[in-house]
Amino acid sequence: MKVQRVSLWLLGTVLILCSVHTRGLRRCLISMDMHHIEQSFQGIKRAVQAKDTFQNVTILSKSETLQSIKPLDVCCVTKNLLTFYMDRVFKDHQEPNPQILRKISSIANSFLYMQKTLQQCQEQRRCHCRQEAINVTTVIHDNYDQLEVRSAAVKSLGELDVFLAWIDKNHQETSAA
Amino acid sequence: MLPCLVVLLAVLLGLCHGSGAHGTELPRPPSVWFKAEFFHHILHWMPISNQSESTYYEVALLRYGGQEPWKLIPTCNQTLALSCDLTMVTLDLYHNNGYRVKVRAVDSGWHSNWTFANTRFTVDEVTLTVGSVKLEMYDGTILGMIQPPRPKMAPAGNTYESIFSHFREYEIAIRKVPGNYTFTKKKVKNENFSFPTSGEVGKFCVKVKPSVSSRINKGLWSEEECIILTKQYFTMTILCIFFTFILLLCGVLAYCLALQLYVRRRRKLPTVLVFEKPSPFILVSQLPCPEAQDTIHPLDEEPFLKVSPELRNSDLHGSTDSGFGSTKPSLQTEEPQFLLPAPHPQAGGTLGSGEHPEMEGSCHIGSSDSTDSGICLQEPSLSPGMGSAWEQQARSNSTGQDDSGIGHCQNSEGQPGDTLGGSTLGHVSPQEPEVPEEEDSAAVAFQGYLKQTRCTEEKTTKTGCLEEESPLTDGLGPKFRMCLDAEAGWPPPALAKGYLKQDPLRMTLAPSGASPRQWNQPAKDWPLLDLTSCGDLGASDWSFAHDLAPLDYAATPGSFLGTFNSDLVTLPLISSLHSNE
Repeated sequence: MKVQRVSLWLLGTVLILCSVHTRGLRRCLISMDMHHIEQSFQGIKRAVQAKDTFQNVTILSKSETLQSIKPLDVCCVTKNLLTFYMDRVFKDHQEPNPQILRKISSIANSFLYMQKTLQQCQEQRRCHCRQEAINVTTVIHDNYDQLEVRSAAVKSLGELDVFLAWIDKNHQETSAA
Repeated sequence: MLPCLVVLLAVLLGLCHGSGAHGTELPRPPSVWFKAEFFHHILHWMPISNQSESTYYEVALLRYGGQEPWKLIPTCNQTLALSCDLTMVTLDLYHNNGYRVKVRAVDSGWHSNWTFANTRFTVDEVTLTVGSVKLEMYDGTILGMIQPPRPKMAPAGNTYESIFSHFREYEIAIRKVPGNYTFTKKKVKNENFSFPTSGEVGKFCVKVKPSVSSRINKGLWSEEECIILTKQYFTMTILCIFFTFILLLCGVLAYCLALQLYVRRRRKLPTVLVFEKPSPFILVSQLPCPEAQDTIHPLDEEPFLKVSPELRNSDLHGSTDSGFGSTKPSLQTEEPQFLLPAPHPQAGGTLGSGEHPEMEGSCHIGSSDSTDSGICLQEPSLSPGMGSAWEQQARSNSTGQDDSGIGHCQNSEGQPGDTLGGSTLGHVSPQEPEVPEEEDSAAVAFQGYLKQTRCTEEKTTKTGCLEEESPLTDGLGPKFRMCLDAEAGWPPPALAKGYLKQDPLRMTLAPSGASPRQWNQPAKDWPLLDLTSCGDLGASDWSFAHDLAPLDYAATPGSFLGTFNSDLVTLPLISSLHSNE
């Protein structure tokens, strides 16, 4: 009788641990120092945002765009936005200032590291993209397309603080709990 | 003609250009920027180059990423103002993606172009500050408490700790005055810090700069807060020890003082143990134990032999006082002079026999009224006069209550003693006129007390004298055995306790009625023979108990006297007493 109880207790403990582990594995979190990226952006924020002439237009900071993302879609949206910046924003922006270009290059390298982390999660089927996540990504691309490419790139580059703040908020361990 | 027209046209064009530039274009403010602290958001701008006294600036605000359009801020439209507090319109700064702001100059209806702030106004542009810094000195260490800012405009729930909930840090800089600004810096991760001074004294100044490690917000050094460190001679620990020592010392001194006072204080016996010195005048009234007075104790023969002749001739002998009522030691010897007065010439002898001249003492009538012990050695008188005298004496004794009672016909008013006297009187009075001759022959026609001096015979029966019945039946007459209980601690001059009043009439009229049984009855009836001592009496009163025992003779039952008087055995004893003299 005691042996059965012990075995049941052990089984329950194992199940609980496994559920926690799997739950943790479901969440593909980016564990890197975002502070470094934020400091890099802070150096170019004034120069980049000053070039943004379309003040009343936004690409990422619409309230219904990123604020409504659910935790299950964070991985997919993060991955898509990283791809957006890497494939469109950084490539479309022509920076003549080398100091600013250096900062932008540092940010791009950090984005590349995050992309590789999320890609591993996707291969492990832990970064499933739902329709909501796809819709959000589509809206962002549509907003980018409404502007002239250089202006859009500049605006998107100027909105990196929004994207970094969103990543910092959704990819912390505390927020995951 | 043509040159005039050209000049006129040029002048007109010049005038129009100037007016249009003034109306349509005003120089716009060169720059616009925010200076923001925690819930203190101030927009600054530079003035235009040619501003006039009527120039003012318009400020417009846009929440980045919102649906609202640009909103003009009317509170900022002040003449010549170069800044504007936008805190109230930017309260949501710490929860959104920031604000866009623009400024333009206005003068006399003319507006300049808008000047945008170079950056989007976001939470990253807020400079972090501290509210206050408090310093304390404790045990050679500087203790600091950092108070975060508490702006009044902050909405409820928007505190510094709630907005920047994690990774708050403070950089501490300390310098010693008047040294150079060689600050000692250290970073702490909470609002409390301590800095050891290593025993140094002097003035120390501290300033603090806050920061958030996860954010890029800049921090601002606080104002210097200084504290003066001195030698801690009187620290709390030392003061506590000092006051504790003082209290202990006071307690010890108080204890010693109380102890000394207690030792030096005169000790007094408890009032319970304090006995009042007996007064000779009070003792008569203090007769707590009538029974003890009746106690008969065997006499010790030896002390009586040692009595000096002077004592024999003392007043004790000369008076009718048997000595029971006085403090003088009574003398009890075998000599016939002991307590017996000189025989009365008219005395026919002892009781019934007239052989006791001692008995013929001066037992005057008046003596019965005296305040003596009551032992009245009446002269044995066989004359009728004596009988009458006796009778008179008996009568008078009814009023004289001051004697011991033995031998007196007392308390004719109704006390138990009256039965004795009363019966005696009653017995005597009717017979007086009948047998006067018998009175004359009565050996004891007096109120006398028979001295019981046969202590030699009674030595063997000292302690249990009352129990012996045989001596009483030896025909010696109503001889009383008086035993002195030496163990009771009686004084050496033992009191003659055992004087029995002899009623001669009863003895003569009922001579043979007495039987040993009746004679023995007194052992039960007569309290005088009761060996029980009056324990209530003190040692000093013991003598009086013995002395006064005969006083209760009146309380004795009449049956004993009746038997005694009727027993003619006493007559020989009395005669023997007289013969010894």
